[in-house]
Amino acid sequence: MASPEAQQAAEARQAAAALRAAHDDRWLHARRRAAQGRPVVGYVGFDTPVELITAAGALPVRLAGHAGRDTALARTYLDGAVDPQVVNVLAAILTPQGHDPVPDLVVITHDCDSSLQLFYTLRELRRIGAQTLPPVHFVDLLHLPGEATRQYNLGRIRRFAAQLGAWRGRAVSEAELAEAVADHNAARTARTRLRRRRAGALTGGEALRWYAAGTSMPAREYATVLTAALTGATTRPAGRPLFVCGSGHDTADVYDVLEGDGWLVVGDDHDWGDGGEQPLIGEPTLSALTDHYTRAVLPASALPLPRIAAAARDGVDSSGARYVLTYCRQYDDAHRWSHPARAAAAGVPAALLRDQPYPGVDLPGLDARLRTQEAQRTR
Amino acid sequence: MSNPTATPTGPRLAAAAAALRHQREWFATLRGRTERGHPLALVNADVPQELLRAMDVPYVVNQWWSSIISAKRMSGRYLEALRERGLPDDVEQYSALPLAEALSPRGDDAPWGGLPLPSVVIADCTGDSMRRMFQLWESELGVPFLPLESAAAETVPVNWWELMRHDWETAIGSPRIDLLHRELRELVPRLEQLTGARFSPQRLTRIMALSNEQAEWNRRTRDLLASAPRCPVPVNDIIPAVMIPQWHRGTPWATAAAQSLYDEVASLVAEGRAVVRDERRRLMWIGRGLWFDMDFYRSFEQSHGAVFVWSMYLALAADAYARYGDDPLRTLAARFCAFRDQMYTPPWSVEWYVKEARAHRVDGVVHLISADSRSSWFTTHALREAGIPVTEIRADNADGRSLDPAALHDQVARWIGSLPDRG
Ligand code: SF4
Ligand code: SF4
Repeated sequence: MASPEAQQAAEARQAAAALRAAHDDRWLHARRRAAQGRPVVGYVGFDTPVELITAAGALPVRLAGHAGRDTALARTYLDGAVDPQVVNVLAAILTPQGHDPVPDLVVITHDCDSSLQLFYTLRELRRIGAQTLPPVHFVDLLHLPGEATRQYNLGRIRRFAAQLGAWRGRAVSEAELAEAVADHNAARTARTRLRRRRAGALTGGEALRWYAAGTSMPAREYATVLTAALTGATTRPAGRPLFVCGSGHDTADVYDVLEGDGWLVVGDDHDWGDGGEQPLIGEPTLSALTDHYTRAVLPASALPLPRIAAAARDGVDSSGARYVLTYCRQYDDAHRWSHPARAAAAGVPAALLRDQPYPGVDLPGLDARLRTQEAQRTR
Repeated sequence: MSNPTATPTGPRLAAAAAALRHQREWFATLRGRTERGHPLALVNADVPQELLRAMDVPYVVNQWWSSIISAKRMSGRYLEALRERGLPDDVEQYSALPLAEALSPRGDDAPWGGLPLPSVVIADCTGDSMRRMFQLWESELGVPFLPLESAAAETVPVNWWELMRHDWETAIGSPRIDLLHRELRELVPRLEQLTGARFSPQRLTRIMALSNEQAEWNRRTRDLLASAPRCPVPVNDIIPAVMIPQWHRGTPWATAAAQSLYDEVASLVAEGRAVVRDERRRLMWIGRGLWFDMDFYRSFEQSHGAVFVWSMYLALAADAYARYGDDPLRTLAARFCAFRDQMYTPPWSVEWYVKEARAHRVDGVVHLISADSRSSWFTTHALREAGIPVTEIRADNADGRSLDPAALHDQVARWIGSLPDRG
């Protein structure tokens, strides 16, 4: 019989494989649930109140892009200066390919301008009857610190809970909400452990896959599997340690390219990575959900400059990064306003790459920028 | 035809000349007051400026001041200050220019003597960049920044232009109005503390009444231009005569200016004045203005009898501002909390363009699609569905680098030639 250590290691490997499977096929769990006759909600926006979706008996799956997807039709409709990642997500909704199941409901928040544009596009396509689409709900959560915003968000959260109740034909009960909050809190706790451990245990690509699995699996199951997986990995991979900021990465493509070139992504501030960390929700009430999604969960566009700078400094310190990259995808320029403050706070060479394609990265540009800075520092 | 033809230059509107003169005098007075220690606010165009007027805090509109900087060709130099700090000089420049000026070394050649450093800046959090950009006023210059939310509705009734004046509660929906109304109530004590000024609800009531009156004059002017047998005045001459009084909304001067524009246009119509004697094609321009080639708009008059008859500025001034209500602060919130949606967000934007195109009896629409245009496919689609021909022009930016004027002229000329004859 295997030793307890060997057995634990085997379990950890199995758990890691399960995470990878949930990342590689983001609809794996959705299909399982659909086979049981249970609905799937596709959502866009890191500040989506996922526990309400879970409480309504549905599986929340965050919609992600896919490198090979044909986006021509989506580009026709969503043709403004919009992040290509969002255009890719629209393509998945308009023309599901291969394994893409059609979600029973799409939920979009106002976490950034491109999400808002995506919502407007879907709303108008439905109105003029140009496309057949699943129903779409928009949850307009805002993030200024004032009481006016909190009151507004409370109204949005109440409305969303009522919409979900009407959609499935039965109101969300207190017990369902309590269970969903506990499940998602468990997932948050496991996620925090992943953030603390990743730099010494995983490649950035693998860490990102493990995070992304959490947005396509049932929350409780994710908490269990991630916790098991984290008992395994222990050795730090090789590579020049890099902290990645700026645009979100909903696939591991860019990290894989970076790490194939000798970098090691030890931390990141976008919400598909470490930046997606959330504190626990205190009580299972709509009021506590409102506090959480108004003040504790801030999309990048709502972060005050000093907090962005402090997050970069802390992220670099705790991950042991020796370089910082502010990665801006094409049309996702807002991060450029915060780059100087971030670079100054980080205390290590920091490069800005703008106009990056989806999903890709200008490796020679990164090398050149960081080398110049290193040279300046050692002069 | 590869060379844009020379354009006829008609007499400028007296209302436009008067507005330009007033603007200079007003700004000189404002500079003088600020130098003597009066507070000054710099606000985005979507911020409820009437609140500041009701506090007697002078304000400058960020986008208007940007247009002055651009017109004086100082943008390049000021944007350098952003570049030096590693900040973007090509993102939302139109909102960033006043910040860039404030970060630049003071020179003797500043436009109109330069904008004094404001005591407070106020902006809505539209898009992803606005809030970060305005935070720099605080972090780099120590100027307090007061942000306002930019909320979005899940559902809206389409016919906003019919509802907005009286039934804005239905058009916009109470939650968004509640939000801005509450924010304005929170803003008042902050502004009082920062500027030492006092808010007066009575003054705001008067200001709302005056600005509604101004909007009604603009409406009459727009309706008159829509229904006049031939277009009596080049559309680009209307723009300053409408826009400058808009920056002074809520003052007796602005209301009188809107009235005198109406009177002037009415007398031109009565005289039978026409930009083109033999008017054969009425056109509408949608999209950003071609600032580098204003003459473009007039270059089809002689050759094609074609005249641009519609300006977004007058149409917005006519439809987008008037709000009637008993509570002046809430009414003011209703004026601004969905402001951008009226022109940018479908279904509101697209259906409004169709309605305006019909009212102006246009024969076709030239639709300029810049890199940051929103929902342009829907706009073109709705117009064509309504039986209105559209030609699309793709331009990556408004500075002319990406457009070859001769090619553009050819494209539009060929398209005008292809328009069906009037039935
Ligand atoms: S909405 Fe239009 S008027 Fe208002 S700030 Fe933006 S560009 Fe200017
Ligand atoms: S009137 Fe036009 S150019 Fe002026 S600020 Fe408004 S949208 Fe911008």
